[in-house]
Amino acid sequence: MHSATSTIALIGNPNAGKTTLFNALTGANQKVGNYSGVTVELKSGEAFTPHGKKLRVLDLPGCYSLRAPSPDEKVAVDALHGDLPGYGKPDLVVCVLDASNLERHLQLALQVIELRMPTVIALNMVDMAEKSGLRLDPAKLSEELGVPVVPMQASAGKGIIELKQALRFPFPSPPDPKWVQDADEPDAARRSFIHSICELAARRPDAHQLTVSDKLDAWLLHPVFGWVAFLTTMFTVFWAIFSFAEIPMGWIESGQGALSAWVSSLMPDGDLRSLLVDGVIGGVGGVVVFLPQIVLLFFFIGLLESSGYMARAAFLMDGVMAKAGLSGKAFLPLFSSYACAIPGVMATRTIDSAKERLVTMFVAPWMSCSARLPVYFLIVPLLLHENEGSWKQALVLFGIYTLGTLSAFVVARLLRKRLGPDTGANHFLLELPPYRAPQWSYILRHVFERGWSFIAKAGTIILGLSILLWALGTYPKSDDENVDPLSHSAMGRIGAVIEPVVKPLGFDGRIGTAILTSFAAREVFNSSLAVIFRVEEAETDEEARGRTRDRIAAATWPDGAPLFTPLTLVSILVFFIYALQCLPTTAVVAREAGSWKWALGQFAFMSAFAYLASLVVYQGGRLLGF
Amino acid sequence: MASALVSDLEIDSAMTLNQVGVGCDVRIRILSGPGCDRLRDLGFCEQLQIRKLAGGRNLICSVCGTRMAISRELAEQVLVAPLA
Repeated sequence: MHSATSTIALIGNPNAGKTTLFNALTGANQKVGNYSGVTVELKSGEAFTPHGKKLRVLDLPGCYSLRAPSPDEKVAVDALHGDLPGYGKPDLVVCVLDASNLERHLQLALQVIELRMPTVIALNMVDMAEKSGLRLDPAKLSEELGVPVVPMQASAGKGIIELKQALRFPFPSPPDPKWVQDADEPDAARRSFIHSICELAARRPDAHQLTVSDKLDAWLLHPVFGWVAFLTTMFTVFWAIFSFAEIPMGWIESGQGALSAWVSSLMPDGDLRSLLVDGVIGGVGGVVVFLPQIVLLFFFIGLLESSGYMARAAFLMDGVMAKAGLSGKAFLPLFSSYACAIPGVMATRTIDSAKERLVTMFVAPWMSCSARLPVYFLIVPLLLHENEGSWKQALVLFGIYTLGTLSAFVVARLLRKRLGPDTGANHFLLELPPYRAPQWSYILRHVFERGWSFIAKAGTIILGLSILLWALGTYPKSDDENVDPLSHSAMGRIGAVIEPVVKPLGFDGRIGTAILTSFAAREVFNSSLAVIFRVEEAETDEEARGRTRDRIAAATWPDGAPLFTPLTLVSILVFFIYALQCLPTTAVVAREAGSWKWALGQFAFMSAFAYLASLVVYQGGRLLGF
Repeated sequence: MASALVSDLEIDSAMTLNQVGVGCDVRIRILSGPGCDRLRDLGFCEQLQIRKLAGGRNLICSVCGTRMAISRELAEQVLVAPLA
């Protein structure tokens, strides 16, 4: 018996339910999407056999065959051969098959068995297969393939125990693939073997019944109604984010106000009180208040992914993406980038063409990510009057997203042309999974994870920067009562230095400083404004410690003109749409593209573009008389 | 000899997946072209029965109960014959 921990690899076609099974085996927090390419990296976790023996479980990216043309499939193949650094050759392979799709999924299973490694087949989603009228015979299947076959339904936890029983020691002996023994053409031999095995063990009553998914698709993929449905869905998501989030945001704001008042009442006036109330509570609160929006955004993305609509959206978008020189496959990474560019850039691995992948990575940060939301939510309501309906705000937000997306498409097209045509042929291929009821537990887990990482960031990076900003805005102090404390402070001096640079964009030194700090993380812009503009209102004290938004709306230039004119606000928005203010993204792009030059070029291009775009908007707007 | 003739005739009379009408059930005869390995991995194998569900820029086919979207270029490499 082995003494070291054995390694088990899960392999299967996209959409076979590997990740669901992985979660059921290991209890790990991991994301599931109802479209291919959710697992682009190797995930590893631990499970225990019924006898308490520890197993290491690897969740490999989905692949259709072991020939592996795309980078994520190559990861799976390398892992099976033990070629991945840090992971040995797996001791056992669990091949996950979708029972309702045996004809297709067995292709991969046979290739795995031909590797002559101990193999167990997990026949997943037997419930769906039987519902569609398929008559399965796992015992016959096992007999024909020469490996254990465990029927299961991983999403409901059925068959997990049986699978674990099959993973006991000693592992099943390596199978003997009888179909390739004396075949000249392994491909043809495999095909005819699959054909015969499906006749025996998976009899279909009528291969072509119109399912509910087919009927839905007739509408949702319709050349006209499909687009109406797509745009309605997207707009509803944005509208819902805006209007549903108001309620919890109100709670957070009043909680923050109450906390500030409570701390103020406990402590004497002084630097420490100012640090806690203005620096810590104001700075962190200015970002945390946007937690509800971010949670809702991830919730809706999770809902679209897990229901199966995302693949339809990719199908619809293929024609649009072609205009940008990309394919429908680039839609999924780009859409994920609306949540966060980092998973988006990683998801580009599902794109076969290396050139298309580089281009997609390059433009991904222009899909407005959730870190920009706090800034948008601070600025957009200032543009519109309080009494305007939330649908108008949603419309502006929709416009912001559209602007970023369209610019990204234009740049992608130009860049794609420059890179030249592909060497090999790459064609659009996409599996449209059946519509499924969303897996709520996974969506909620995922949302919780993202929400928590947002709070963790607010508690670490943003807290630290808020304190630093507060210190920069407070010290050195002036003894002279007539001197404005902010302009005397270190921050005021920094602001004075950068003011000439940002003035053509309609910003003063204070906004300039806030933008400078936002290069650490975009949300810090809000903290910076909160910290900077409290000094301004120092004399009116209690009531002025209301919302950051009210205070910055009242800000003026030294000559008394309002600082945040509509034109300036638009200029800020434009800057944030285009600027790449996220160090982790640059690091991930450098890793995925395998080139720091590509990542730094992207950063330089986007920063320069943001500056120029704001310049054009502000100066153009002034010429037009705004 | 005769069987070779028959298969030649079959190839001549076969049409590509693009030429098939929407909603038709067809059987795949031959895959030929650079994308055929990829197509086989996805389940588009010889002798398999498929149904074309939608045409246009990309086609949607039902293959063993799964809907697959493939581009026109790939569909051009799939030669099919109507079900007997």
